[in-house]
Amino acid sequence: MTATVPLPDEPAEGILVGRRVPRVDDRRRLTGAGRYVDDIELPGMVHAAIIRSPLAHGLIRGLDRSGLTVATDLVLGPGEIRARVAGPTPVLWHLPGQFQHDRPLVDDRVRFVGEPVGIVVATSRYEAEDAIDELILDLDELPPVPDAVAALAPGAPLLYPDAGTNVMAEFDAGDTDHLVGTVLADCDHVLRTRLSIGRLAGSPIECRGIVAAPDHTGKLTVWISTQAPHAVRDTIAQVCGVPQHHIRVIAPDVGGGFGVKDHIYEDELMVCLAALELGRPVKWIEDRYESLIATHGARDEAYDVEVGFDADGRLRALRVDAVRANGAYLSIFGGGPLFTMGGMLPGPYTWEAVRTTARVVATTTTPLGAYRGFGQTQSCYVRERVVDLVAAELDLDPADLRLRNLVRPDQQPYALRTVPIEFDNGDYPAALERARAMASAWSGDGSGDGLARGIGYCTYVQMAAVGPSIGNKMIGLDVGGWEGATVRMERDGTLRVIIGVTPQGQGHATTFAQLAADRLGVAMDAIEVIHSDTDHTPYSAYGTAASRSIAVGGGATIRAADALAVKVRAIAADLLEAAPDDIVLRDGRATVAGTTVGISLGDVADRAWQGWELPDGIDPGLIASATYDPQAFTFSYATHVCRAAVDRQTGAIEIERYAVVHDCGTVVNPTIVEGQIHGGIAQGLGAALLEDMVHDDEAQPRTTTFLDYLLPVSASMPDVEIAHLVTPSPHNPGGMKGMGEGGTNGAFACVVNAVAAAVPDIAAAITSTPVTPTVLWSLLHPDA
Amino acid sequence: MTRRRSIDLFVNGTHQSVEVDPRTLLSDVLRHDLGLTGTHVGCEQGACGACTIIADGRAIRSCLVLAPQAEGMTIETIESLHGESLHPVQQALADEHGLQCGFCTSGIVVSLVAASRAGASADEAIDTALGGHLCRCTGYVNIRAAVHSAWIRLAEHGDEP
Repeated sequence: MTATVPLPDEPAEGILVGRRVPRVDDRRRLTGAGRYVDDIELPGMVHAAIIRSPLAHGLIRGLDRSGLTVATDLVLGPGEIRARVAGPTPVLWHLPGQFQHDRPLVDDRVRFVGEPVGIVVATSRYEAEDAIDELILDLDELPPVPDAVAALAPGAPLLYPDAGTNVMAEFDAGDTDHLVGTVLADCDHVLRTRLSIGRLAGSPIECRGIVAAPDHTGKLTVWISTQAPHAVRDTIAQVCGVPQHHIRVIAPDVGGGFGVKDHIYEDELMVCLAALELGRPVKWIEDRYESLIATHGARDEAYDVEVGFDADGRLRALRVDAVRANGAYLSIFGGGPLFTMGGMLPGPYTWEAVRTTARVVATTTTPLGAYRGFGQTQSCYVRERVVDLVAAELDLDPADLRLRNLVRPDQQPYALRTVPIEFDNGDYPAALERARAMASAWSGDGSGDGLARGIGYCTYVQMAAVGPSIGNKMIGLDVGGWEGATVRMERDGTLRVIIGVTPQGQGHATTFAQLAADRLGVAMDAIEVIHSDTDHTPYSAYGTAASRSIAVGGGATIRAADALAVKVRAIAADLLEAAPDDIVLRDGRATVAGTTVGISLGDVADRAWQGWELPDGIDPGLIASATYDPQAFTFSYATHVCRAAVDRQTGAIEIERYAVVHDCGTVVNPTIVEGQIHGGIAQGLGAALLEDMVHDDEAQPRTTTFLDYLLPVSASMPDVEIAHLVTPSPHNPGGMKGMGEGGTNGAFACVVNAVAAAVPDIAAAITSTPVTPTVLWSLLHPDA
Repeated sequence: MTRRRSIDLFVNGTHQSVEVDPRTLLSDVLRHDLGLTGTHVGCEQGACGACTIIADGRAIRSCLVLAPQAEGMTIETIESLHGESLHPVQQALADEHGLQCGFCTSGIVVSLVAASRAGASADEAIDTALGGHLCRCTGYVNIRAAVHSAWIRLAEHGDEP
């Protein structure tokens, strides 16, 4: 059993992993010198606008261009797009009962407002949009299906008539219905409730965007704001019929991703088609309206929950029937978030039976896709909200109830009931105890100011390091989960670290350099991390998502660096007339251990690149490549605790204090990990209190600006106290577990629980999100 | 298309004369006509603040201004605020890890510099200047810490980079 220890203030001298190394590439972002996709200007470049459906549901009759007066370079309507497409767009996650496994770029009908059906290219974006105004998409309107209730109603209009149902996938996870029923019948109490989560929009501040530039050799170079350039290349090849070696995809600086940029969308593929047709560069930059209606949404799920527990506070059985209003089609990761919700539903507790039944339902709204948390946020919400309802029912302290049921360190590795996966290690009770201690130190409860206050908790385990490739196959996910890295020492001893994963602000250029630096003794300022270019980086099927970059990509980097270090030591040992095992790589030098005898890494590298007089069996050059396919998932965990203050007269809510105790295994850079936690909390808090993507009865989106779809602002966010615990994962060469989504997973339930705790008289009625002042006031004043 | 017209601007200390379609947004003039791509566009609805510039001494959202409205304006963009060293606001954001993807950062830096010049306290700058910006990465915690440390530095050394 690996011990759980607090993170030391500093690692050992000379070690960079665990140190608060400043980010190496902030200056360009601070001075306006970053290069995002809309900053790319190419000679002869023209600009696209997308033809989108104004209706939620309709059969496409054609595109009426009789009113077009604006000069355009190209108009491709639905039929012309279809004629140019070489293959369908992929759905990569295949669940039981799923009837959609890929789909056409443009179908014979539209199924959501904003669905792209064609493209216009003109000299400027302004003129392209003028042309859009003059084109009329001719539709035979069909009845809308605005939500899951409408989709499941008898006689509901069908989005896919050939399928005969609006249920796009239906599956269960966990124990048998019989076992759950037996345990429930044996419990002292059974509590039933219905919970739901509103629809979210991931909303990176940089919208999506693409520049596609064909050259005279037939090669297509694409700059795109994406989390997964290699996957983008694969899809362009499939849909546009260009061989993969003729496509180069580059992610320039990317202004946030959060899951919504994990694949190439239909509108972006149309830009590639247009560029190939015109033989010149085409740029398309999504605007915020399009981002809110056409970039994939998230959550929009409802759950009927039964929880069985005993009078002593033992949590025993959990049964959930879940419905996801998935929108018009299955995105690249399909119904995966709901599967993940069911898989991670047990969380860190020792249930006797857990079962989820789940339906992914087609509705005439924007498709749902990946978004930070990807089902795990939902599982935290369902489980942790229910735990608080149980605590209230038994009049127990919610933290005590959790402690009574947490998996203990001596029970690790602990098998999940829902999927054949084990937690790796960790001290879950220690995190909760520490968080409770931090919260108990909070003063200034403002007694006398008339506000009602409540403390809320969320205790969770987060599946990360997705994933073992065979694990992905096992759950129906048609994506390899391994990563690759190449480490190259140049002739002067400086280092290139070339990785398959790609950053959107997480700091890969710093953290991956830290990993390599410790193994090769190279200073941070002598390392360049190269990423985000399919012509020059190792393949990454998955890209940066699922809290996997540092755990999986880092694993590959460590392996490559270790392999290179063996070679550096062998050459240095030969030059120094010592044994390779006695060579220490540090501070840019190779030194014989226990002596001052050494040479610079530049001298070693120079010998390697000259290629003569190398030791037997050592090839010229200093390059090592490695892949890393995790043996198993890793599991970060945390307890979040916060304090809400509620004005019962107005419904106004403030989250005043916030603390996190967190364990993501080896912490490569505490400052960067804390930044990820802060940002994750903001997204969880936003979903809990503010963010709501609303469609009306006609399935028309009503929240189409940031004045309607409310993101957290500075005043929404409290300061955050963070304590790190460290239990290195046994499944990773560096012990890292991955944590990018954890903040969101914890905060969403934690914030809702704190608000509910502040208003115990109506707490049981707080079952849907967002909990806005209007919602809360209505619950507090039912007769008003 | 409407008739193009010429407008004169004074941008980052240089006189610029540009021919534009009158409906062109000032943000597009800066970015695409003058190549000052550090000014970012996040919403074109005046909500996110990413496109903030200093115009005639005040922080404004360049996506809400039509190019002809900017005639004669003296404009400072993110590209002009640092020398060889970063401006104290920029340095504090780097020191406190107050940025991640960096897309909203230009606007936040510009607003905070304008607030510091206007004599705002750190708390006022957080409420009124930072309060007008959306950041999706940082949760604002480290940006606020950066404001506090920048204001200490500004009080001691002024805003010389």
